[in-house]
Amino acid sequence: MIRLEHVSKSYRTSTRPALDDVTVAVGKGEFAFLIGPSGSGKSTLLRLLLREEVASRGDVYVADLNVGKLSQRRIPQLRQRVGCVFQDFRLLANKTVFENVAFALEVIGKPRHTIRKVVPEVLELVGLEGKADRMPHELSGGEQQRVAIARAFVNRPLVLLADEPTGNLDRDISHEIMLLLERINRTGTTVLMATHDHTIVDSMRRRVVELHLGQVIRDESRGVYGVSR
Amino acid sequence: MRASFVFSEVVTGLRRNVTMTVAMILTTAISLGLLGGGLLVVRTIDRMQQDYYQRVETVVYLSADISANDPGCTSSTCSALRGQLESAPGVQTVIFESRQAAFARFQRIFQGQPELLQLARPEALPASLRVQLSDPARFPSIAKAFTGRPGVDRVTDQGEYLRQLFRALDGLRNATFVIALIQALAALLLISNTIQISAFTRRAEVGVMRLTGASRWYTQLPFLLEAVVAGVVGGVLAIVGLIVGKVAFVDRVLAGVFEAAIVPRIGYGDIFSVAPILLLVGAVVAALTGYLTLRLYVRT
Repeated sequence: MIRLEHVSKSYRTSTRPALDDVTVAVGKGEFAFLIGPSGSGKSTLLRLLLREEVASRGDVYVADLNVGKLSQRRIPQLRQRVGCVFQDFRLLANKTVFENVAFALEVIGKPRHTIRKVVPEVLELVGLEGKADRMPHELSGGEQQRVAIARAFVNRPLVLLADEPTGNLDRDISHEIMLLLERINRTGTTVLMATHDHTIVDSMRRRVVELHLGQVIRDESRGVYGVSR
Repeated sequence: MRASFVFSEVVTGLRRNVTMTVAMILTTAISLGLLGGGLLVVRTIDRMQQDYYQRVETVVYLSADISANDPGCTSSTCSALRGQLESAPGVQTVIFESRQAAFARFQRIFQGQPELLQLARPEALPASLRVQLSDPARFPSIAKAFTGRPGVDRVTDQGEYLRQLFRALDGLRNATFVIALIQALAALLLISNTIQISAFTRRAEVGVMRLTGASRWYTQLPFLLEAVVAGVVGGVLAIVGLIVGKVAFVDRVLAGVFEAAIVPRIGYGDIFSVAPILLLVGAVVAALTGYLTLRLYVRT
């Protein structure tokens, strides 16, 4: 589902490449952690998958689409298949929970009756049924992240990317978010999560891809966070 | 594509930056109003030129001798001149005006100024052959051919006075367009600025739209429509302004000039024929500005 082949990414302002000859593949329905210290290249890798950046060398594939070679016109189609959640939730402050999730469907032209049916289903999946009319500032951090996950998932993407989704949350809430991501993974969605939360990685024992200074130094199928080098 | 969604985004965008929206609409209205005014001036000048050049005459003023002694243009000199003029190429009609007839005309023109009439005498006015040219451009050759001939005092072209008048009117027209252009530049910059601010204010929404895979068209359309709305509303205001200007100002101040048929009256028909141009220019130019702004300054 996700394939990086000898991918390198350099930014003009930096001497060291952000990603250096990275080759890694994540299969359909897999759940993988992307770990490493700040500056190791985790966010850059996720940005490449979303075509927010283009690789300097190598090929990036998402669902058999060569992401780097997509025309401008087809980038939105890629992004409809890849959901993403972030550390800062990125909700729209002046819209309700329902409207925030519905927004993701409205902007791709889904009809109203579809939205009215699908949004409540997803809100129930993330455990927010009954809070559809709340505004984001009325929710806890954990609830806001659930809304973000609902929005990322409502269009049933093939891949869900998570960039430090528990970064702003405490231990218990983080655990709940992880259970939610696992539930989503069980529906068949490939999940790739960048994090430097040792506890979560250790407790879930899933595939771990470790980056350091832009290179893959470890790729274990049931890994722990380990000692950072 | 859901029209109601796009519509609500446009309304939201316009409302969030009310001051900028109003400024944008007003400057657009002013420049379109000036454009409309310039176009109306052009129409009026064209009509005036048509009217006037039809009435303009080339005048062959006759010598003192003929003026005094030949009241019917029967002398050989005079009738020869008349015949040659009539047969010259480009000449439509030739009318002889005797000294007395000229004096009678003088009295008619200046009937409101009795002091002038008191001083005037027929002897001061020459007889003339008044020539209507079918092609005003033929004047130089007529003048060349007949100046200095026996019986001819001088040949003048009334059109020369008109040319001076029309040069001045052309100057007015050009000035109007130059000001319109400068205003248009201001309007375009303001539209561009407003769209950038609008995009900045809506960066959270635009960000989410990019993330969830909204097409570029869907993301940009609300901004483009904001600009087009400003262009069209500005155009409507400009048309209203022209109408108000006509009724409250032009009709009143130039009433005498219109009545004397010196300048053709500017009617509602003129304004309504210029109106579609203003609306079209307003909408298209605003949309282009919006599109360029989004391409150059806004990451969508």
